[in-house]
Amino acid sequence: MQAEGLVAEEIEAGYGKVQVLWGISASVASGESVVLLGANGAGKTTLLRVLIGLLPARQGRIWLNGEEITHARPDRRVRSGLAYMSELGVFGGLTIEENLLIGGQFLPAARLRRSMAKLYEIFPVLAERRRALASSLSGGERKMLGIAKALAAEPKVLMMDEPSAGLSPLFVSEVVRTLKQLREGALAMLIAEQNIAFLDLADRVYTLEGGRVRFEGTVAAMHADNALHRSYFGLS
Amino acid sequence: MPNYVRDFVFVLLPLLVLLGVLPFFYRNELLLFNFTIYFALAQGLNVIYGFTGYLPFGYVGFFGVGAYGFALAIIHLTTSPALALAIAGLAALVLGVILIPLLRLSGAYFAIANLAAAQAVYHIVSNPDLQDITKGPYGVSLANVFAPRLSYYSALAITALASVVVIWFRNSRFGLALQAIRDDSLSAAMAGIPVVRQRTIAWLLSALIAGLTGGVFAWHISVFYPETAFDISISIFALVFALFGGATTLLGPVIGVLLLYGLYNLIGITIPQYFQLIYGILIVVLVLFLPQGIVSLVSRRGIRVP
Amino acid sequence: MIVHAVMAGLVFGCYFTLVGIGLNLIFGVMRIVNLAHGDFLMLGAFAAFWLYTLLHWHPLFSALAIVIGFGFLGLALYYLFVPRLQAARDAEMLSIILFFGVQQFIEALASIAFGSSERSLPGAILGRGPVRLFGQAMPAAWIFSGAISLLTVALVYVYLYRMRIGILTRAVMVNREEALAAGINVDRISAIAFGIGLGLAGLSGVFAPFMLGSVTPAIGGDINLSAFAVTVLGTLGNPLGTAVGGVIFGISMMLMQTYLSSWANLLPNLLLIGVLLIRPTGLFGRETRRA
Repeated sequence: MQAEGLVAEEIEAGYGKVQVLWGISASVASGESVVLLGANGAGKTTLLRVLIGLLPARQGRIWLNGEEITHARPDRRVRSGLAYMSELGVFGGLTIEENLLIGGQFLPAARLRRSMAKLYEIFPVLAERRRALASSLSGGERKMLGIAKALAAEPKVLMMDEPSAGLSPLFVSEVVRTLKQLREGALAMLIAEQNIAFLDLADRVYTLEGGRVRFEGTVAAMHADNALHRSYFGLS
Repeated sequence: MPNYVRDFVFVLLPLLVLLGVLPFFYRNELLLFNFTIYFALAQGLNVIYGFTGYLPFGYVGFFGVGAYGFALAIIHLTTSPALALAIAGLAALVLGVILIPLLRLSGAYFAIANLAAAQAVYHIVSNPDLQDITKGPYGVSLANVFAPRLSYYSALAITALASVVVIWFRNSRFGLALQAIRDDSLSAAMAGIPVVRQRTIAWLLSALIAGLTGGVFAWHISVFYPETAFDISISIFALVFALFGGATTLLGPVIGVLLLYGLYNLIGITIPQYFQLIYGILIVVLVLFLPQGIVSLVSRRGIRVP
Repeated sequence: MIVHAVMAGLVFGCYFTLVGIGLNLIFGVMRIVNLAHGDFLMLGAFAAFWLYTLLHWHPLFSALAIVIGFGFLGLALYYLFVPRLQAARDAEMLSIILFFGVQQFIEALASIAFGSSERSLPGAILGRGPVRLFGQAMPAAWIFSGAISLLTVALVYVYLYRMRIGILTRAVMVNREEALAAGINVDRISAIAFGIGLGLAGLSGVFAPFMLGSVTPAIGGDINLSAFAVTVLGTLGNPLGTAVGGVIFGISMMLMQTYLSSWANLLPNLLLIGVLLIRPTGLFGRETRRA
């Protein structure tokens, strides 16, 4: 078992009588960026919810930095260095500063201040409006806040659910650019997406179909697979 | 045998026959009468709570308005009891119509607003300023139409009516549509179910049942006060009886009334606080461990409960 | 006369804010309706009564003890009921019924223990003679109770807006699922909020003998309606909106008692229904109603 990063093995999960995930194994190592590619309903969100602990895994095991977290509560996982940005991403009724505070809730006061100062440097839009309600931000700014909030805890693994959702193409490329900046360093990123623009970031790709992993490998290998290439990149 | 015939033959008919012949063998007619009106109220509440999910905490409002509708018709219009009973039902229907806007509220908001509405009606009826009309807080006396046997059998008829409504709801497309609305009103609306009209019909039927029950209650006990007719524990008893047995079924409320009202009469009459104590604990345990009622012990095994 | 009614209404508004705020905090965080709120208030009133009668504790002193005691009671009740309740399909509705059971239990227990006679405390404990506030004479006990209420509401504000745990609490109010995903220990936050909610109910009970008159084990139900009116006026789930609801409620109550006293007890009911029908989500609520 690799020591650094997140590893999921043979995950099965679902809602009530409906099983969504059928034995998914996936991993993301320290410093690596991995994209989970799949259409709506492929099980991307469900997998991330299992990994953060919002939904129990019926089968399978999960490790974070070599420590098993399959049955840990979400707050334990976050404390151990896992961060998750949902599609919503932020608390609309709270200010920007409060959102960051929540992200970094487990840090000691001094370290939290440093972490927030650093984030305000990376995201100057947020620094200008730290007392404004998150709900007053535009869609793109909200994603930035979502990313900043998840990073405030100085996580080892950052999971993101559809960072492109609801954004215009212009903002999508801005989000991708921001995430590229974050790739340097030891941060591991797991991005669930259906927008292929995010493949620019990917060291490796998993494609999900019907709750199963259909393909695993590099973007180059994905291009080499004709059928996959057609279904994700069209005929171009 | 179709389900509705089965429900009628195996549950309602035996109950009606039992309640019909018991007065000839058992002397405590008031107790039998109280059982009968709780059968009616628990089923009437089942009509709205069991099939639409609205929790009518102020259900007693319809009961009280029915009781006063009956009494005031007798006092001011000197009508016959039969006509007064119709006026009781009408009064509850009118209140039901006035409260239709409450159906826009969901969950806790509806329950609380409904409770407040019942209380408001109580405060109006019992207001000394209205003594000329309602007799205010001093209560009404209807000794001149006192007819215990006749009013008892009228109550039985209302119980039958309430139960028939439940049987109809359980075994008709109308009832199924209501349950669809309860479980997911948006999807139901998209499936073409006229959500607002259907739940309004259920609401008014439920109000009518309580109003008629209140009217027959006034007739039977003949002397009562606003706080008797609008006693919030009437709502609560009916609610807990229905829940305890199992809402959405015909049998559930019957079981609830038999067991809990039976228990109440064993210990509650002499030491009401001790009954209240047990009752409180029972409700808590029920919600935590058997939210679908006693019948769910059977129905969760896949057996159809009438 | 009208100025006096408005001033007294403001003082009572502070008190009614205190009566409603615990209920609202619990609903805001847990989406649970504590229908036994008024009965915890009643218990607080009896506790203050006995502490004064038997041990001659000043209400301020017993208030402190009661807040702490009720806080711990709230923690215990939380773990006893709430997580199990929240696992159910329709937790909000079931919570009404469950806490109705708790209400019956408390009321029965209190009437077995204390009997049904009325208990009251002399207002002179909190200060002698009328106090003039902006030219209006009012009993010292009202001013005292109103001031403590105001102070407590301010403390709740500090908790929710200035302390880290309060910000986490508001995050849970905004979106429970998102809060879980952000690593907030929602269970712990909720338990503390429940404890605070009960502590506030107990605290408002301490001043009930001075503001609401004598207490009996049966007052819980009526107080519930007032508390609901206040919280719904100021938006269910928004603890500080409660302050606005409390003041509106207090002033309209005083005006009713001055000019239309025989109809005054209709007020909480009509306010509640009126606000719910005009703005189902309260005066400051967002539109979140489902079809």
